[in-house]
Parts: sequence; structure tokens; C-alpha cells
Amino acid sequence: MRGNGPAIRIAAFFGGSCLLWAVTTGAFLLENNTVTLPWILGAVLPCYCAGLFAWWHAPANPVARRLLLIGTALSVSIGIRYTSALLTVRFGWDLSAPENGLPSPTACLVVLPAEWDNLAVSILVVHLLALLPDGRSRFRYERPVLRSLWALLALPFVLPLAGVPTRVVEFAVFYYPEAWLPGVGATLLVVRCLRARAAGERDVAVLLPLALAAAGLFLGRAVSRLFRTWHGESGILYLIGSALGALPYVLISLSVVYAALRYRLLGVDIVIRRSVVYGTLWLIISGWYLGMAMTLGLTAGQYFPIGLSVLVAVTATALFQPLRAKLNQLAERRVFGDRLSSFELLVQFGSVLEHAYDLSRLAPQLAAGLQQGLGLQWARVRLGGCGDLPAHVGRAGEEPAADAAGTAGSGFPVCYGKDVLGLIEYGPKSEGRFTPEDHDVVGTLARQAALAVHNVRLAAELSTRIEEAQRQAGELDASRARIVHAQDGERRRIERRLHDGIQQDLVALVAKLRLARNRLGRGGDVHAVLTEVQDDAYRVIDELREVAHGIHPPVLTDQGLVAAVTSRARRMPIPVTVHIEESLDRVRFALDIEESAFYLISEALTNVLKHADATRVTIRIARREGWLVVEVVDDGVGFPTDTTRGSGLTGMRDRIEAVGGDLRITSRSGAGTTIRSRLAERVREEIRD
Amino acid sequence: MTEQPMRVVIAEDHYLVREGTRRLLEDTGDVAVVSAVGDAAELLAAVEELRPEAVIADIRMPPSHHTEGIAAAHAIRAGHPGIGVVMLSQHADENYAFDLFQRGTDGLAYLLKERIGELDELLRALREVAAGRSVVDPRIVEVLMGSHTRAADAPLAALTRRELDVLRHMAEGKTNRAIARALVLSESTIEKHVNATFTKLGLAEEPQLHRRVSAVLAYLRHAPRGAG
Repeated sequence: MRGNGPAIRIAAFFGGSCLLWAVTTGAFLLENNTVTLPWILGAVLPCYCAGLFAWWHAPANPVARRLLLIGTALSVSIGIRYTSALLTVRFGWDLSAPENGLPSPTACLVVLPAEWDNLAVSILVVHLLALLPDGRSRFRYERPVLRSLWALLALPFVLPLAGVPTRVVEFAVFYYPEAWLPGVGATLLVVRCLRARAAGERDVAVLLPLALAAAGLFLGRAVSRLFRTWHGESGILYLIGSALGALPYVLISLSVVYAALRYRLLGVDIVIRRSVVYGTLWLIISGWYLGMAMTLGLTAGQYFPIGLSVLVAVTATALFQPLRAKLNQLAERRVFGDRLSSFELLVQFGSVLEHAYDLSRLAPQLAAGLQQGLGLQWARVRLGGCGDLPAHVGRAGEEPAADAAGTAGSGFPVCYGKDVLGLIEYGPKSEGRFTPEDHDVVGTLARQAALAVHNVRLAAELSTRIEEAQRQAGELDASRARIVHAQDGERRRIERRLHDGIQQDLVALVAKLRLARNRLGRGGDVHAVLTEVQDDAYRVIDELREVAHGIHPPVLTDQGLVAAVTSRARRMPIPVTVHIEESLDRVRFALDIEESAFYLISEALTNVLKHADATRVTIRIARREGWLVVEVVDDGVGFPTDTTRGSGLTGMRDRIEAVGGDLRITSRSGAGTTIRSRLAERVREEIRD
Repeated sequence: MTEQPMRVVIAEDHYLVREGTRRLLEDTGDVAVVSAVGDAAELLAAVEELRPEAVIADIRMPPSHHTEGIAAAHAIRAGHPGIGVVMLSQHADENYAFDLFQRGTDGLAYLLKERIGELDELLRALREVAAGRSVVDPRIVEVLMGSHTRAADAPLAALTRRELDVLRHMAEGKTNRAIARALVLSESTIEKHVNATFTKLGLAEEPQLHRRVSAVLAYLRHAPRGAG
């Protein structure tokens, strides 16, 4: 039991060789001795494999060693059995025991080791079961009780010498220990669990339900052996019996391998590749399944013609198939957790992406889904980080330190068209290698994620634009209202000038003419009055001209912006320097552009006169990259732009913005004012010479 | 004076103004209005047919009421260099005058419409254009002279104040003697200023008759522009 490494290794090698030997002889050399092949597949092979697996991963663990020893012993037993069969059948050796007493010395060489071996298997099973889960004795009674079991090894030698009939000896050393001892082991485990519970050792106590179930099952199976004498080694009951016979070994193997993974039975720090665990479980299940199916077929072969028995075997295989698949699926699910298929993964992502307008939530969801779905060690998803979109990073799994060598993951850019909208990075898979299918899954995922990011980007742009549009609409409404208001005010002003100015002047003129007529009637001199009337009429004409000019300067329509601006500038009482790009002489812009530009300059000049106290003004008009740029600069007192809210300035801005231009006013107290505007250069007519 | 009355065609779309002008002119006995028409097309037809000595034309006429008069004046001057054109305009804006004079000043006058009331002025202008000379309304000259708008390379920047004064009077069509009277200077002094002005404006080689108005118009054309 506490044999060192090499001893165990030799034992394991020997067991493996025996197994190989048994299979070879069973399959090729012997005829009509296939009854035990199902046993090999259903019990020996699983047990040996599980033992090998457990010992491989935890060489120092008692449970693992015992399992390997059980597997080895089972293999040796089957090896001896086949060897004796070979010797008997092929070479005519007589290995049968007499009614009483020991067989011949030669036969003893074969029979006694077989019996000891079988007993050792059963005793080891008891040891294994009784000392779960750690394989070490905890209570004082355990060691003596379990050690005393080794005394059974004396039976094959002692009983024949004591004159017990060979048939009874067979039962005592072969059938009953094999049948009852697993039950005894499970019962001892129940006792151990109960004691542990009393002692407050939870790690052992939790096994109680398992122990009870195992005890019930194994004892039940042992009871069935009581009837073995009646039906012999054939018939349907034999079939059930052999199926149940393999059960302890299969169940123990499965449990140990599964527990090794799930509960780290073999040691806390041992990390076992899940795929190996799964593979081992698969081997055990498949072996048992094959064994059962063969048993059924062979049993049928004893009763039915060969055709029918094949049919029965096939049917049985088919019937067992769903069970096997279910077991495999269960094992896979238990070992790997809820691993999703690629399809499921994409469907899941699809539903996640569907509602994903929040990248800060989407990124971790994607990372987690990717990591779990593909069984990756880690995954990192960065979305956004392009243009205006802030980057959102989601992480899943344990990412290695950035500088750790050899752990660098792969990357997959999230692209939409030529835009790189993010990055998916991932580490190696926890199990197995990264297949092309997995790569495709990540690729598809990246495309979907790109679409989502693109959508988010579009949504963000849209909302920005809607906000901008709403702001502009509000601004437009306000400016429209202001323009209408300004227009109404202007109309009232014109109406006042016509009624209160020009009309009154004309009335006065009529009065003067009447005066002249009166004088003429009296024979007086009307020359002076008429001269006065004429001068008055000139004044009315001037006034009218001014009003008309104020409504709309005709020169602007007739000759365009340059003529209108220079004309306006010439009438300024302070020096005005005009810089106009020469090409502008030959260009006529759209009417609204010309009018807006003229209005701006005119208003700016009016403001200069009213407020600036300037000594000179400079006007610049130029064409720059599709814009008509207009600038009025004075050297006056200036004003603080952030606090001044004149209706004149607002009116200017409204008017310019109404035709899609912009306006910038730069001014500081005492440092003059610059009004600069850009207007879309919509050319109506260009005279080329 | 036993001179034949000057044969004139009037083009004016406003009936009252047209007939008023005709009566005023014919009343003087110096002018025979051979035709009074309502638009530019009729004017051109009348000129072709009647070959007047001078034409009085409104600047704004049908169909579009913009500057049809100027276009007609140019057409007349181009087709019949002997026929002078007096442009009557309601615009006190100098740019219209520039427009009229853009192809040369000979035989052209730009007067504000209210000059109809100053009959002597109107008759003088008719005589000047018929003789191939040129007249600019004093209001326009006043605006230009009074303007503070300057460009660094404007030709008039070189003139002295006195020379500018002389130029203004000259632009109003006054003779050297009249200018001397107005400025209370000797006629020879005026002549010196006039010649200095011509030289500074690069008009020294022009024929005597044309130089006077050309001097003003050279200024008119250059003054408002600043090149950068």
C-alpha cells in the first residue's frame, strides 16, 4: 500500500501487460471463452484506466494508488484466468481442483494466485471505500478492522487444508468476497461518516448520502449473488448479475475520476486538464456500455440462432446508445460546465447585441460570454475608442500580467468597413487548442460587435444632430421672430418718415403755393416765394431719396455690393479706407448675400458713428475658399463683447445667419472693434474679360 | 442771337415729367423738342430717325426700371458720336455717374433730375454735350470731394488742397475765369493750378477741351478703390 514510486509503477505496468495479454488471448487464441470479455470492458478496463489516471495526477494519494492497484489486480486476475484457460484448452493441462484438498502443485501455481488476487481486489475495494474521501484512517477502529481483512488471504490455503469441499472454498474465496466486500466497504464508510458527523468533521460527513446509496446498492447486488448457485453461468439472471457485478468498479472509477476534478479529491493544488478527465470518464462509460451490449448479445447467442442473436445485439446496442450518449453528455456537462455550442454562443450574443446601446455594459457581457462560451482563460473586449466614441473595456477571466512571457493572447479587431471600432483579445483556451471554428466564432462575434458599435455611434451622432437641429430650430424661431419684429419696426419708421416728414413738407409746399397765388392776386411779387417753394421741393426730393435709399439702396441692385459699399463709405464723415479684392468688381453674388453683406457693413458703420467715437474705419471685402469675407474694423472705444447685448448686434447676427453665414465680433474696451463675417459665396454672375 | 433752336429728343417714362420738361425747354425758345418718348427702344428709334443734336434721357425706364438710360446713352454715343446725351437721374449716387462715364466722358452729362428746375443748368449741359464736352452734377462732385474715403494710391492723393478746390469748380463746368472769381484768385494762378493738376493726374497730353472733365473723372474712377 505505501509502496514507493517504482513499485507502484512496476505493478501498474504488470497490470497493463496482463490486460493486454488477456485481451489478446481472449480475442484471438481462445474459442468459446468470450463470456469474460464484457467483464474486461465493463469493469477491468474502466477501473485500470481510472486508477492510472488518478495515480498519474496524484502519485502520493492513497485513493489513487488503491484504485490503480484494484485495476492492476483485476487485470492480473483476468490475465491469470485467460492463461489458465489457454493452458487447459490448448495444452491439455489439468488445472481442475479435486473435490477436497489442494489441487496438484502445478495447478496451485495458477489457482492460488488467482484466488489471492481476487481477494486482494475485494479487500482493496473495502479499503478504498471505507477511507474515503482522503484515503487515510481517522478513527482508531479503522486501521485494525481494515488490516484484519488481509487475513482473508489465508482462506485459499487454509480452507482446502481444513478439508472444506472445493466448491465451498470457491464460494468462500471467490464469489462471496467479491460480492459482499464492496458492500462492507460502503457500510464502513457509512459508519465513518456517522462518526465524522459526531466529531464535527464536515468533509467526511457530507459523503453520508453517497455512502448510504452505495451501501444499499452494493449490498443489494451481493444479495443477488446468493442465488447464483441456482442459475449458473448463463441465462437472463446471469446477465443481470454480471451487469450488476461490474457496477461497483464502474461506479467507483467514475466517482474517483469525477471527484478528482470536481472536488479536487487528489490534492488541492493539482490542476487536471478537463479534457483528460472527460476523456477518462468517456472511456469508462464507453467500456461499460460496450461490455453490457456484448453481454446481452452473447447471452442471446446462447438461446437464439446466430442471426437473431446478432439482431438482439444490434438492438441492444441501439437501445443502450441513448443511455451512453446521455451519460457522456452528463459527464461533459459536469466536467466542462455549461459550455455553449458556437451556434448557441452566437444566438446568445445576438440577443445581447440587439438591445446594446450601452457599450459600457455590452463590453463586459461580450467578454464574459466569449470567455465562458469558448472556454478561454481570459478575454478582453474593447469597444469604441475611435473618433468621439469613448473606449469601453470589458474583461473576463484571469488575465496574465502584461509582462508575463508566453501568455500573450490573440487579437481580433472589431471593424466596420475600414473603421476600427474596437478590439477583441483573448488568451488560450483552458482546454484544447483554438480551432478554426472557434476563430470563426470570434470573427463573427467581432463583426456583430462592430455592427453594435456602429449602431451606437450612429445613435450618438443622430442624437447630437437632433440636439443641434433642435437648438438651431429654437434659435431659428427666435431669430425669425426678431427679424419680423425688426421689419415691423422698420416699416413703422418709414411710415413715420413719409407721413410726418415728406407729407408734411408737401402740405407746407401747397400752403406756400397758395400764398404765392394770393400775392399774385394782389399784384405782388411772387419771385421770392416761388424760389422758396422750389428750394423746399428740392429738400423734399432729397428727403424722399434718402428714405428710398434707406429702404433699399438702388445701387446695390443695379451695380452690386462693391459700388454700394464704396458709396456708403464715401458718405461717412470720418476717414474710411476700403480694401476690396479686385476680382470682386466683376462678380455679382446672389441677391440675399449681397444684401446681407451690405446691411452688415452699413449697420457696422452706423454703429461706429453712434457708439465707437472712432477716428478711422477700415472695410475689407475678400473671397476666401468659397466664402465672401467681410470685415469692418474701427479704432474706437470698443466694448466688452460678453456683456453687450445690443439689438443691433443681434439683428446683424440674425440677418447673417439667416443666409447661412457666421459673424464674429472682436472688441475690447479701448481697443476698437472688429466685425468679421463669412458668407457663402454664391455667385450669380461673373463678368470675365 | 438768331441761332437755330437746338434739336432735342426727350426720353422719360413719367408723363408729367416728360411733358413738363418739354414745355420748360420749348418755353426758352433755345430748344426744339423734336420728339418725346417713353422708353429706351423708342428713344433709339427716334435718334435714328430724327438725328437730334442732343438727347435728354431718364436713367430708369421701362421695362425693368434699372439703368436702361445708361445703356441707351452708350448705344447713342457709339452709333452717333455727334449726338450728346444728358442723363437725368434720381440717383445722387456717384456710382451711376461712373457707370455712365465708364467708356469715356465725351458728349455725356450726368445731372440729377431736379436740375429740370434749374433751367439754365440744363440748357448749359445740353450745349456742352452737343459740343462733345462733359458735365457732372455738382452734387456728385460734392460727395466725392467731401468724402474721407481714400485709398493709398488714389491719384488725387498727390493734389494739394488748393488744387482740389480748383478741380471741384472745374468739375462743375466753370471756366478758369469763373473759378478765379469764386476763389478770389487771379486767373493766371488758377491756370497754374489747373496745369499742375493735369500733370499730376497724367492728363498733360490730352486735348485742352477734354482735360477739364477728364481730370475730375479720372479721380472719380480711381478714388473709391483701394487695392489691398
